[in-house]
Amino acid sequence: MSRNAQDNLISVMLIAVFGLVIYLCQDFGPRARLIPLPLAVFGIVLTLAQLAWHNLGRDDAPPIEMISVDTRAITANAEGQPRTERTEEQLGQWGEAGAYLIVALLVGMIFTVGIFPTVFIFTAAYLILTRYCTVVRGLVYSAALTVSVYLLFVVALDMQPYHGLLAAWLS
Amino acid sequence: MIDAISAGLLALLTPQAVLFLFLGVIYGLVIGILPGLGGVVAMALLLPFTYGFETAATLALLLGAHIATIWGDSVTSILFSVPGSAKGLALCFDGYPMTKQGKAKRALAASATGALLGGIIGAVFLALCIPLIRPVILALGPSEYLMMALWGLTVIATFSEGSLMKGMTASVLGVLVAFIGTDVVTATPRFTFGNEFLLDGISFPVAMIGLFAVSEMMKMSIRGTPIIDRSLVREDSTVWEGVCDAFHHWWLVVRSSLLGLWIGVLPGVGASVAGLAAYAQAAQTSKTPERFGKGAVEGVIAPDATMGANEGGGLMPTLAFGIPGGESMAILLVAFIGLGIVPGPDMLTKNLDVVFSMVWIIVLANILVTIIGLGITPWLARLPSLQANLMVPMVLSVCFVGAYATRGRIEDVVVAAVFGVVGYLMDKYRYSRANFVIGMVLAVMIERNLHISINLYGADFLLDRPIALAMLIFVVVTAALPFWRERRRKRAALRAGGVA
Repeated sequence: MSRNAQDNLISVMLIAVFGLVIYLCQDFGPRARLIPLPLAVFGIVLTLAQLAWHNLGRDDAPPIEMISVDTRAITANAEGQPRTERTEEQLGQWGEAGAYLIVALLVGMIFTVGIFPTVFIFTAAYLILTRYCTVVRGLVYSAALTVSVYLLFVVALDMQPYHGLLAAWLS
Repeated sequence: MIDAISAGLLALLTPQAVLFLFLGVIYGLVIGILPGLGGVVAMALLLPFTYGFETAATLALLLGAHIATIWGDSVTSILFSVPGSAKGLALCFDGYPMTKQGKAKRALAASATGALLGGIIGAVFLALCIPLIRPVILALGPSEYLMMALWGLTVIATFSEGSLMKGMTASVLGVLVAFIGTDVVTATPRFTFGNEFLLDGISFPVAMIGLFAVSEMMKMSIRGTPIIDRSLVREDSTVWEGVCDAFHHWWLVVRSSLLGLWIGVLPGVGASVAGLAAYAQAAQTSKTPERFGKGAVEGVIAPDATMGANEGGGLMPTLAFGIPGGESMAILLVAFIGLGIVPGPDMLTKNLDVVFSMVWIIVLANILVTIIGLGITPWLARLPSLQANLMVPMVLSVCFVGAYATRGRIEDVVVAAVFGVVGYLMDKYRYSRANFVIGMVLAVMIERNLHISINLYGADFLLDRPIALAMLIFVVVTAALPFWRERRRKRAALRAGGVA
């Protein structure tokens, strides 16, 4: 899918979100919807304007933010050339799918085996599978991280750890 | 007054008070660096340990920890673009680009020195202004607070100069996300889809962890390279440069500190707004605003100076009226009860020595944080060059544990993951995450004060509140300023082109 089409798709999704907000606001009293309702309408207007602006193909279409937390702002390659959008896209959709998968896997593991076993297993697996270090080192690093996190959050900060669905099922 | 100043300092010179101050600062630095945990958590966890000790020592422990979290927050914002809490957000804008340019040491040192100077200036002005501030606070009501929140939103105009529509869309989304949960005014569950967990709303620190930390780690896992590849970008700055920067921009430090003090004095406004407002004023008043967002050291100094001074300001309404200036001051108020201190007008007359003890604690804690901060900066500056394959699993794990620890609810892990994906997509398609966060921060404040204003003064409340009206005019002027400047710049460029 081209970048243009992706941008349009995001805009359509945003319009759907704002539309849903407007629909849900119908169930609220006048005071509860005093701000969300007009704001959602404003959101739709903004997104439609953005969509129109983007597709009219104007050269001076909304440029990149001047000030942003965006990491692209000053990145440069070895030759001192600014990194282009293409470079990011060249990283491939597989890498992106992998990133989503990592997050989903981590969340799934936390729900299944609990927080601290996940920290250990996930870190060890990542370090070993990406060949960052040897198996032994990977296990040592992961154990060190898990112990540190446990000491900080459970011992020092008195957090009650979540043990996961598996523990509940086993007990 | 001189007696109270010296008595306040003497109370802090006991071994117990000195030890507690030191412990509080170290503890605060660690908590500040952890994602999702800020000054509020730091103070709340210390509360059970505050009974049975000297008053000054207890206050040193609590305030020392709280002040240290400010710089702790700044560290992760500057090095990884991962704000530990909302307060550190403004530091991402220029601190992170500086790190990527190989100027991490300079940025961290400028941040620590800026916070120190801000803290001292704030404390000194607080001491001088104690008799003057009281009538000013009493003159402000919900309508004026509403205008202040709107002013915060106009900051968005500065952040989004260029892609204004996407920036504004992001802020609208942020405001709407903040409305998820039970409406505080009408008790209506909004956008909860019948889910019990969502009744409490989206936790702000959890959303921040997702939007910034998780999404950054997703990006890093895709790229597979560290934040800084030392073979391409060398760390070529020094700690001393950063220290000098803060003194070189002394007028910016003074302005930012006074802004921080003022925002701190206003109950319920908070340091997150202060940092963003300071950044906006630094960008708007700069002769070279185009450098902001690309690694301008002023963009680091201004928010830190403001947040340093903000703590002093926050003490004022807490002590004088028992109205906490923010969440952390609310916890301090609880500690006061345990210590037998009754906030109120008497604090500024009979118990002035306790007030000055706190002013001294702010100064001393800031000095201690800066000394430690400058000492560890060379080591901290090495962190961004760690390999992505080491950073990603470790930071992601800590982030999700942090998300869970915020409220002890496992659903928050899912929220952090969802916001991580949202943050990644926003970054990819250039919808400013900063604007989203600003919208989230200010939404509740705007809604609550609007309802109260309408209740108290009717729909045309601005006509009854001349100060609010004047503030609205100020808001409009400051919102229009970036556009006016841009227009003038374009005209000048056109004229120059025509002459050539």
